[in-house]
Amino acid sequence: MALSKDELKAAILEKAEKSPKPQLYIKDFYACDPETKPRDIKNVANDLVKEGKMMFWSSGSTTMYALKHRIKNEEGSEGI
Amino acid sequence: MAKHETPLLDQLESGPWPSFVTDLKRQAETKPECWDILGQLELSYEERITHWKHGGIVGVFGYGGGIVGRYSDLPKRFPGVEHFHTIRVAQPASKYYSTKNLRQLMDLWEKYGSGMTNFHGSTGDIILLGTRTENLEPFFWDLTHDMGQDLGGSGSNLRTPANCIGQSRCEWACYDTEAVCHAMTLKYQDEIHRPAFPYKFKFKFSGCPNDCVAAIARSDIAVIGTWKDQIRIDQAAVKEYIAGNYPSNGGAHSGRDWGKFDIEKEVVALCPTQCMWMEGGELKIDDTECTRCMHCINVMPRALRPGADTGATICVGAKAPILDGAQFATLIIPFMKMSADNEFEELVEFIEKIWDWWMEIGKNRERVGETMQRLGLPAFLKVMEVEPIPQHVKEPRSNPYVFWSDEEVPGGFERDVVEFRARHAA
Repeated sequence: MALSKDELKAAILEKAEKSPKPQLYIKDFYACDPETKPRDIKNVANDLVKEGKMMFWSSGSTTMYALKHRIKNEEGSEGI
Repeated sequence: MAKHETPLLDQLESGPWPSFVTDLKRQAETKPECWDILGQLELSYEERITHWKHGGIVGVFGYGGGIVGRYSDLPKRFPGVEHFHTIRVAQPASKYYSTKNLRQLMDLWEKYGSGMTNFHGSTGDIILLGTRTENLEPFFWDLTHDMGQDLGGSGSNLRTPANCIGQSRCEWACYDTEAVCHAMTLKYQDEIHRPAFPYKFKFKFSGCPNDCVAAIARSDIAVIGTWKDQIRIDQAAVKEYIAGNYPSNGGAHSGRDWGKFDIEKEVVALCPTQCMWMEGGELKIDDTECTRCMHCINVMPRALRPGADTGATICVGAKAPILDGAQFATLIIPFMKMSADNEFEELVEFIEKIWDWWMEIGKNRERVGETMQRLGLPAFLKVMEVEPIPQHVKEPRSNPYVFWSDEEVPGGFERDVVEFRARHAA
């Protein structure tokens, strides 16, 4: 049986917290509930962004999801 | 007064063409950050390496697209481009602007950004180059509230849908491209503004096979106008072309003397399927062989027109060259009626069927055309519930094996091994 919306949100947050990589593709969350359609998982992940619990990270061509405390922006960092 | 020495860039101003270097220097008089663009670019020319870092968590709240983060990796040396984010603004359908709208947009960009623009990006958006993170939300507020415009798509979103001028000005448009583009833009707002897919996804709508928005080369779903019946011929106008009374190509090539118009040489002999001929002074066309190349119609626009039973051909899977080289879209649906009366129901069903499949099967950063290529056209057609037709076949088969699926074999592939071994000992 598919997870409820709240259960799915909790599973997505847990996955984002425990993943070795700070940024995750939307497909990485599909495994949180194989019985839920990808489009529904996308909608729930986007709800978490609206709620301020997750953030989008975009390279310009690809967008990923991350927990705010797990990523840093490029601002102010001196490269080479 | 120049902030940086730029001898390499200065050379680009010496040619006969307009130079972006001259533009940047002029802009730097009021926007000093433009000196740092020039300085950083000069350094990149010297070192042959980029000094841009791109990507990040910049954006406006709730949107996962429309802003592309850009940072200098030498912010102390070039503080003006420490942040230099790109904003994509959705273009109006067919790129019709009023001068008032453009002035408003430029005033807004002078206020919040560098003033540098790119009209337009390859997806069609208005590209505004160079602003700081703290300017993004105020810019977005003014854009949406004062101007009623919106950001376009970027990242793994549906990109801003684009269309040709369609029936607003072009008599060849076989469907109302503006109506479809507008309807799809409104229907898929969530997909445009928030990431939904394994990678980017583009729609483009061209009214006829001239394909003025290059849908077949650039979009994941190319909706290209076509017709089912015969090319409409005005034989009297054909005679006028032959007599030299009407200029060929609407006079587009009249700057040079090409000699007398020769219908055999310039039209009939250039038909790719050789489906035209002259007979008794009249132009004849075997429409069943016509591939809609548009050449004859382009050459003699007053004599030939697309047919009257119109709709669109749907091709899927084009992309520009990143991973596996450039790829044209593949024909999937030869003809689909485009009707606003049913809110383009058939097209919507087709789009969502592709999305449901690709979101599940597509790999990260894989365009739908690459997924099709990886799994093969037969697999894609099966998912789309499209019966194969000769136009789907690229070349005669070279693989001698016939592959059957479970449901095509009476009784399927499941066998009772015990029962089989009773008849055929191992």
